[in-house]
Amino acid sequence: MSNIDPGPRLEQATQPSSVLPYGSELTSATVAETRRGKFVRSLTSTGMLHLLLTGMSLLMVLPFTWMVLTSLKPAGEVNDPDWFPSSFQWRNYLDVGDKDNPDPQRRGVDFGRFYWNSLFVAAWVTFLQVTTSAMAAFSFSRLQWPGRDKIFLMYLSTMMLPGLVMMIPNFQIMINLGWVNTFTGLIIPGAFSAFGTFLLRQFMLTIPSSIDEAAEIDGASKFRLFWDIILPLARPGLITLTIFTFMGNYNSFFWPLVMLRSEHKYTLPIGLMFFDSTRGQSTHLLMAAVTMSVIPMIILFVFLQKYLVRGIQLGAVKG
Amino acid sequence: MTLDTSTNQPGDAQSPFSGQKPEFPVTRPDYTQDAQALSKSARKRQRKNLAYGLGFLAPNILGFLAFTAIPLVIAMYMAFTNWDVGMHNNPERREPLRFVGLENFIRLIQMPQFWQYLGNTLFFMMGMPFSIAGSLFAAILLSKDLKGGSNRTWTILIAGAVLVASTLMLVAWGASGTAMAMLIAGLTGMILIGGTAGGTTVYRTLFYVPHFTAGVATYLLWKKLFVPDTGPIAAAVQPVLTSIEGVVRASPPAAVQSGFVICMLLGAALIFLGLGRLRRYWEDGEIGAAGVLLSAALLMVPVALVGRWYGFDLYAEDPATGSRSMDLGWGSIWLLGSTALILVYHILRALRADHEFVEKRQPWLGVGTGLMFAATVMVAVFVMIGLGPVFHNLPTWATTGDGLKTPAWLADVHWAKPSLMIMGFWGAIGSNNMLLYLAALTNVPQELYEAADIDGASRFQRFWSVTWPQLAPTTFFVVVMGVIGGLQGGFEMARVMTQGGPAGQTTTLAYFIYKEGFETGRLGFSSAVAWTLFLMVFVVTLFNWKFGNKYVND
Repeated sequence: MSNIDPGPRLEQATQPSSVLPYGSELTSATVAETRRGKFVRSLTSTGMLHLLLTGMSLLMVLPFTWMVLTSLKPAGEVNDPDWFPSSFQWRNYLDVGDKDNPDPQRRGVDFGRFYWNSLFVAAWVTFLQVTTSAMAAFSFSRLQWPGRDKIFLMYLSTMMLPGLVMMIPNFQIMINLGWVNTFTGLIIPGAFSAFGTFLLRQFMLTIPSSIDEAAEIDGASKFRLFWDIILPLARPGLITLTIFTFMGNYNSFFWPLVMLRSEHKYTLPIGLMFFDSTRGQSTHLLMAAVTMSVIPMIILFVFLQKYLVRGIQLGAVKG
Repeated sequence: MTLDTSTNQPGDAQSPFSGQKPEFPVTRPDYTQDAQALSKSARKRQRKNLAYGLGFLAPNILGFLAFTAIPLVIAMYMAFTNWDVGMHNNPERREPLRFVGLENFIRLIQMPQFWQYLGNTLFFMMGMPFSIAGSLFAAILLSKDLKGGSNRTWTILIAGAVLVASTLMLVAWGASGTAMAMLIAGLTGMILIGGTAGGTTVYRTLFYVPHFTAGVATYLLWKKLFVPDTGPIAAAVQPVLTSIEGVVRASPPAAVQSGFVICMLLGAALIFLGLGRLRRYWEDGEIGAAGVLLSAALLMVPVALVGRWYGFDLYAEDPATGSRSMDLGWGSIWLLGSTALILVYHILRALRADHEFVEKRQPWLGVGTGLMFAATVMVAVFVMIGLGPVFHNLPTWATTGDGLKTPAWLADVHWAKPSLMIMGFWGAIGSNNMLLYLAALTNVPQELYEAADIDGASRFQRFWSVTWPQLAPTTFFVVVMGVIGGLQGGFEMARVMTQGGPAGQTTTLAYFIYKEGFETGRLGFSSAVAWTLFLMVFVVTLFNWKFGNKYVND
């Protein structure tokens, strides 16, 4: 089968292409025509693009729209197919936090307390985790000591473990320490993170090592190098980890669910679930509560997405 | 180490360390030398370095030991004991822990529920190809330059005109009152104006919000959206079903039922094309024997399951009309038979073909490519096989009882999982996968597109022969991470929305571990399940290590 006729291919190549009219004469009329055609085509394609993107965005937004509109409905209209309330009940948002309301359809839960608990726990975990991770990342990326890479590899390999494997024994440890149903038990285990260490190490590795040498020649101690030079330069990484950790803990469900027993210690996700299981029929109040817990996240995201996007794209390198 | 994702290929197990080599080339050899050879000051410096290194590490490593390393050892021990909260944590019955060996694992394998929950977990992962495709689609749309200068005013004008026209159409159509139409038109207008003014950032933000806010709050929201009969989703779907019912009633049943034959034909054709493509990969030397066999086996999964699909209660719901009739049985026999024929045909052709690469090639070459291709075809075949019986039964459903009604969603045995998958799809389009694809798309060399344009490639060809191969490393990474996450997933949804029900339909392995460990209190057994889960994750990770690098370098 060696003598395949090469004819058709060559012919095809020598044929004047219909896409690029190299051979045709370029008169001013054809130039104007192609330019106008290009303009119209780009216009319609941009328009189509916008419409497609808008259609998809609409799908993303509609559930949230329903959420907000339902949260403003009077109690009697909750099951109406109409999305709009007949009158906007802004006081629903106050009723969510009013757990002593005599009217059962207006009775909420101790929502302000849940909010405060969530912020308190998330803030502490974030502060501690960013601190310990930054120190460890500095050690792993800017200091040379024997065995460093072996220990780092050990850290990395634990990131592969499903968190569930450790949850059960960790809970037994919490029982023995007497930390069940305390904020300490929520905060301390969350203060150490292999992921945070990894993420900050990646950021610190991007800082050129000549800076360290210059600092060393100037007689700066390792602490000064860490505090005055590396930390300020790693600020985007620190901000990214701060947002990740804070949001993760604000949303955290499993560990608080297991650890918290008394109602006044509930964090927001546990509180929302408690609301659903005890006053689930008051959909309007539930949606008001859900709105109040979602809106801060959306606002935070809109303003800080620059850091998040970078962190996600960098974190994906972990393999 | 650069921030550029193109140089640090995702899925590359070495990448965390690759950045170091150029950074510390001088100091590293010190440690490999004999300690005796080092001068006194150097040894002192080394000790100092060690002290500093450990000093900075100390807070983190203490916590790491206390809450990761020690629990790991305990968990390992637990899995081989009969630790039960009722027996061993009860101060009145302080019974000694008993070492039971592999008993927990044996009991697990013999447990029918375990296989059901594993099946649920895998079923949920079937939504992955759809959400990845959605993310890719969104990323491609977002990667287009939308800041078109003077075009922007035009775009706004055209968009506005379309908007007004569509609003008028909706109002004229009377889509359940003008309020709803106004709402949708208003939202569309707001998004459009925001999008034309702010460019892609606005759309990207809107796409990403469902993923970012995912948690108990949005799960509760969807639980309410899925309320049967009165919920907004049921209210939106019911008119569609009613109009389908009208069409089905008006047309002869045989015409509708022919959809079944068409679906089966399409399914067989897909398998035929898929196997043919695999064979060509093999003959061209792009993929090894093991890759072909594994991928072909994956393609056979839907066919092997076909009997189970028809045994599914969904199609035997109506004993009076006997909707699981003979020809459905024939359908499965037909599909199985034709697949067998297709398989034999391709094997014979592959054996007869005269190809020089076959002997030289490693059997594991290109496994990633083959499996990803086969998985895509498999999903399509699943859809076809699933749609077939729907067509077959439509006339029966439409004419008996109340006609076509929306299911009870989360409370329906058959619809609970698809409902959760719909919610997952909503959250997954604009997820991290979309951001990764966006980053990867900006790294596709522009010359490739120019070359494709010169060759006169259509838009479709541009995608298949330039974009898709260039994105392959990202896709591989996204799929592997998705599988790892999917195996461990489903806990929050199950706990918040369904309690794992109805009839265990939405219980995943993660929720099973939680139930055993924290509700029933069988810690030993629960640990055994967790370690089994770990084993599965580990296999996927090994696969990633072994083939991820090769695949990326292809």
